[in-house]
Amino acid sequence: MQDLNVFWDLMWYFKQEKRRYLTGIALLSLVSLCLLVPPKIIGYTVDHIKNNSLTERQLGSYMLILAAVAVTVYILRFFWRVLIYGASIQLALLLRNRLYTHFTNMSPRFYQKRRVGDLMAHSTNDLQAIQQTAGDGVLTLVDSSMMGGFTLITMASTISWKLTLISLLPLPFMAWSTSRYGTMLHERFHKAQEAFSEMNDKVQESISGARVIKAFGQEEEDVDAFKALSKDVVQKNIAVAKVDALFDPTISLVVGASFFLAVSYGSFLVLNGELTIGQLVSFTSYLGLLIWPMLAFGWLFNIVERGRASYDRVTALLKVNDVISEKEDGIQKTPAGSVVVNLTSFSFEENGQKALQDIHFELNEGKTMGIVGKTGSGKTTLCRLLLREFEVEDNQIFLAGHDINDYRLHAVREAIGYVPQDHFLFSATVAENIAFGKYRASFQDIKQAAKDAAVYEDIVQFKNGFETVVGERGVTLSGGQKQRISIARALLTEPELLILDDSLSAVDARTEEDILKNLKRKRKDKTTIITAHRLSSVGHADLILVLDEGRMVQKGTHEELIAVPGWYRDTYERQALESLIAKGG
Amino acid sequence: MDQANTKVIKQRTVFSRLLSYLKRDQKRLIAAFALLIIATGTDLLGPIIIKIFIDDHLTPRSFEPSVMVLMAGGYIGIIVLSCLLNYVQLVLFQTAAMNIIQSMRIDVFSNVHDLGLRFFDRTPVGSLVSKITNDTEAIKDFYVSVLSAFVQNIVYLAGIFIAMFYLNVKLGLFCLVLLPVIGFIMVLYRKYSSQSFLHMREKLSELNAKLNESLQGMSIVQVFNQQRRLKKEFADVNKEHNEAWMKNIKYNGLLLRPAVDLVYVLAIMIVLSFFGIKSFSSPVEIGVIYAFVNYMDRFFEPVNMLMMRLSMFQQAIIAGSRVFELLDEDDQAPGTKGSSDPVITEGAIEFKNVTFSYDGKHPVLKNISFHARPGETVALVGHTGSGKSSITNLLMRFYELQQGEITIDSVPLSHYRNDELRSKMGLVLQDSFLFAGNIAHNISLFNTDITRERVKEASDFVQASEFIEKLPDGYDQEIGERGSTFSTGQRQLISFARTMAFEPKILILDEATANIDTQTEDAIQHALHKMRSGRTTIAIAHRLSTIQDADQILVLHKGEIVERGTHQELIQFGGLYFKMYTLQQKDKPTEEVS
Repeated sequence: MQDLNVFWDLMWYFKQEKRRYLTGIALLSLVSLCLLVPPKIIGYTVDHIKNNSLTERQLGSYMLILAAVAVTVYILRFFWRVLIYGASIQLALLLRNRLYTHFTNMSPRFYQKRRVGDLMAHSTNDLQAIQQTAGDGVLTLVDSSMMGGFTLITMASTISWKLTLISLLPLPFMAWSTSRYGTMLHERFHKAQEAFSEMNDKVQESISGARVIKAFGQEEEDVDAFKALSKDVVQKNIAVAKVDALFDPTISLVVGASFFLAVSYGSFLVLNGELTIGQLVSFTSYLGLLIWPMLAFGWLFNIVERGRASYDRVTALLKVNDVISEKEDGIQKTPAGSVVVNLTSFSFEENGQKALQDIHFELNEGKTMGIVGKTGSGKTTLCRLLLREFEVEDNQIFLAGHDINDYRLHAVREAIGYVPQDHFLFSATVAENIAFGKYRASFQDIKQAAKDAAVYEDIVQFKNGFETVVGERGVTLSGGQKQRISIARALLTEPELLILDDSLSAVDARTEEDILKNLKRKRKDKTTIITAHRLSSVGHADLILVLDEGRMVQKGTHEELIAVPGWYRDTYERQALESLIAKGG
Repeated sequence: MDQANTKVIKQRTVFSRLLSYLKRDQKRLIAAFALLIIATGTDLLGPIIIKIFIDDHLTPRSFEPSVMVLMAGGYIGIIVLSCLLNYVQLVLFQTAAMNIIQSMRIDVFSNVHDLGLRFFDRTPVGSLVSKITNDTEAIKDFYVSVLSAFVQNIVYLAGIFIAMFYLNVKLGLFCLVLLPVIGFIMVLYRKYSSQSFLHMREKLSELNAKLNESLQGMSIVQVFNQQRRLKKEFADVNKEHNEAWMKNIKYNGLLLRPAVDLVYVLAIMIVLSFFGIKSFSSPVEIGVIYAFVNYMDRFFEPVNMLMMRLSMFQQAIIAGSRVFELLDEDDQAPGTKGSSDPVITEGAIEFKNVTFSYDGKHPVLKNISFHARPGETVALVGHTGSGKSSITNLLMRFYELQQGEITIDSVPLSHYRNDELRSKMGLVLQDSFLFAGNIAHNISLFNTDITRERVKEASDFVQASEFIEKLPDGYDQEIGERGSTFSTGQRQLISFARTMAFEPKILILDEATANIDTQTEDAIQHALHKMRSGRTTIAIAHRLSTIQDADQILVLHKGEIVERGTHQELIQFGGLYFKMYTLQQKDKPTEEVS
């Protein structure tokens, strides 16, 4: 019962759309009233025919009334649907936009804690359940109370309250049994779902293990195992069907019993002269009208139960406030590219493990810095701190002489062009992807950025050139192509500070050289930070940091670092040999 | 235009193929259909009994007790009987539908197993799984909801017409007018409503794709300050979706239930006018009016039902076409040539000028020739992508040979039956794939010839028994979540035991690259050594230290053998192998190079 509270939770929306809802409900009520007319007319006609007192004029006017009612109901029904369902899908639209806006405001911390699949489920299944509550929920509530109420009142007051009472005796049984079936169905359905997902897992396993199964020649045996599971699915589903098939016969049984009582007790009343035959005929018609409100009542609970749970989930999600804090009066101006880092320590969770500590460097405008180190040494974390994707304490990072926390977020981001490690492209054309950060860029500029990122030759070889759609629904690009398009995307915004986060890993040595040469030429006066596994990417830098387990273990130029024993020199020598082997000796 | 045409034809073939599956459970379906007809008949007798009661007893006021009891009993009996029959009939239909889906699932699953690895290479796991499970589930709706609803409702409607004709032929004829009217509404519904529904679904998937992508790339969106633009783009798609939805609501409002109810009132008008006009000239039986009105009340629910199931139909057809596509897939695994059924006794392997390409364009192996005498170990080394794994793939006959020849015991590989190859060649893969089930099952797989004894022997042999027997349930220990509770080394040992349980003549090793703790590493090296002795072994080695005793080492580069010889010979030669060896010596003990 308390699930009905969801209507209170949604009251803000009903109020906002009160015109639509009130008119819709009024129309629905009118429809309910109109539907009471045909059974009456049927009764009158029958009585007149029986008494041989029907005149042509009377029949004509009855038919006219029926026609008028039918057309009115048709029109009213169309409009309440448009009003109520229209309002309900508008709510879905509203909440969906609200969620999307919320998602764009959430910091990476939010996404680290949640799976995309779950967020998608909130935006699809949960919104659907809420929309149903605001649409079908309202409809069933109004219909079962209005339609049911009006019909009962008409039956009791205009025909016979005694007959009404007697005929309704079996109906509570219908409500009781259908709700019981509902519970049973729920349980069995759950089991069937489990069996289904077990089968799903099996298929998943067989297909990912296809090579092993083939290697051991176990195909037939695996099919047998699958047969057993799919048989289980069938059995569980038949168990569901056995309950599901109870609904219709039970409803007919109850309705039949009700009709039987109506006709037998009604005949008794007819004999006593308390009722005409026509009234009895219209009574049975009214009885037919009562079936739907009864069923709607059961359905209503189903809808609000889901709607309430979903609404609670969505509101909880909207309340999460994982945002990067901004100063109201923060600096709006895009900072220039000088960076000073005096980081004593940084950890993702409060009092959690330190991800970075004791990192100090100064990088003047126009200089290039390299960051190297093993996987997990903290290179990416450092880059993301510069982007202010995570919060740092005051006085640890300075951009153009000001604390990074004193800037508005958009100012920081505008200053930086970032090429992430996991090159993510959108399902759009190559040109749109390159222009992602500067949407109105001219085609000339887009082309130039592609050339600077050494991906132009690849693009013009695609069938549709720059108009080629990439991503899931388009062509599949190689890792190297994706990386270079990501680089072009960052270059196009002409950032004060360019950060390449291990973004040259999938390109071959010659292309890497080309890109680095282009960067040197194009970004003579701008700052660049490059993180890499391959030392060849950073050899030319003005300053190189070596990180290990979140600490800065070495700092200097290539020449300085190569002169002293340590990680940098070891790695340099090893990579030289490796590249020799890759070339075939 | 042409495209639309082929689409229609395709829909039709999918539809008739779906229908042909009905033969799979013919008997049950026929029984269900017979019961359906009887149940419908009994159900529709009810109003006729009431009609007789009204006309023959209530109006003339003759109530003979025995007749009354008979009628009341008959009426109740009919209701109960039709409910029972209907229940059985519904369960039978559903059971048949479920059985049909099961057999379709098994067909698809078996067919997938017959396909070659080439097919698995180009098809993502997710889409395959979804075709075998989710799409067949959508087809289930076709049988359970669409087809059975059509059959049941059409039988019911036919029954109503028969009853009406029985009561009054002339009025029955008048009521036939309703059929074209309803047919017309259905055609309109299918044309406009179903179309707009599909359009709305398209927009919805576009919307969800957009959302999904934004969530995945949110950090890019934020770093490039594009939140505002994307919000607007999303709002636009959202709005388009809503407009499509609204259109569907309007079409449904015009054509679905409201329209059907309009026809209902029209039907009532026909009935009443007919009897009204008749009453001007002759007396009318009231009971017949009652029965007609009652039949009309029952007539329109099935019609509503039919209309609403129409859009499900469309979805089932789409799912059906996807499933049939997979069923028709015939990129079969390489088969056997000839019928001599040769047997592998020695295990001598020879590659003669083998050239191979996965895509037909870029060769991954060029002119590979080598010979492994029985019991010898041949090691393959080289950089990633040098073609090492392709050699073992061809030897296992996962792919069809294109150029050159491979022989085992001087018999071409293609002459062996798959069973023979798979039972004599033991493959140890890089990633030790474990199946759901217990450890014993993972060692014997489904092979019932492998006794528990044999499982234990094999585990002893590779020294896996030590850790297995320490587990709480020993060999019956369940493997949770693909074996993530075991260390990489332990998983390796289990898969070694699996290979040894099948007692292979030839061993194919694809050595793991992952780091393994030193203790297990020793156990693994020891086990490998034992496994190799007395068996022809082809080993892909990443750690050169493990294959120093190989009889022959082939160094591959870009699909060609660039150096060959023993460890000593190659070290002295001072080429690629020497460089790789020096590199690994440098790295010891922390990292390896693949």
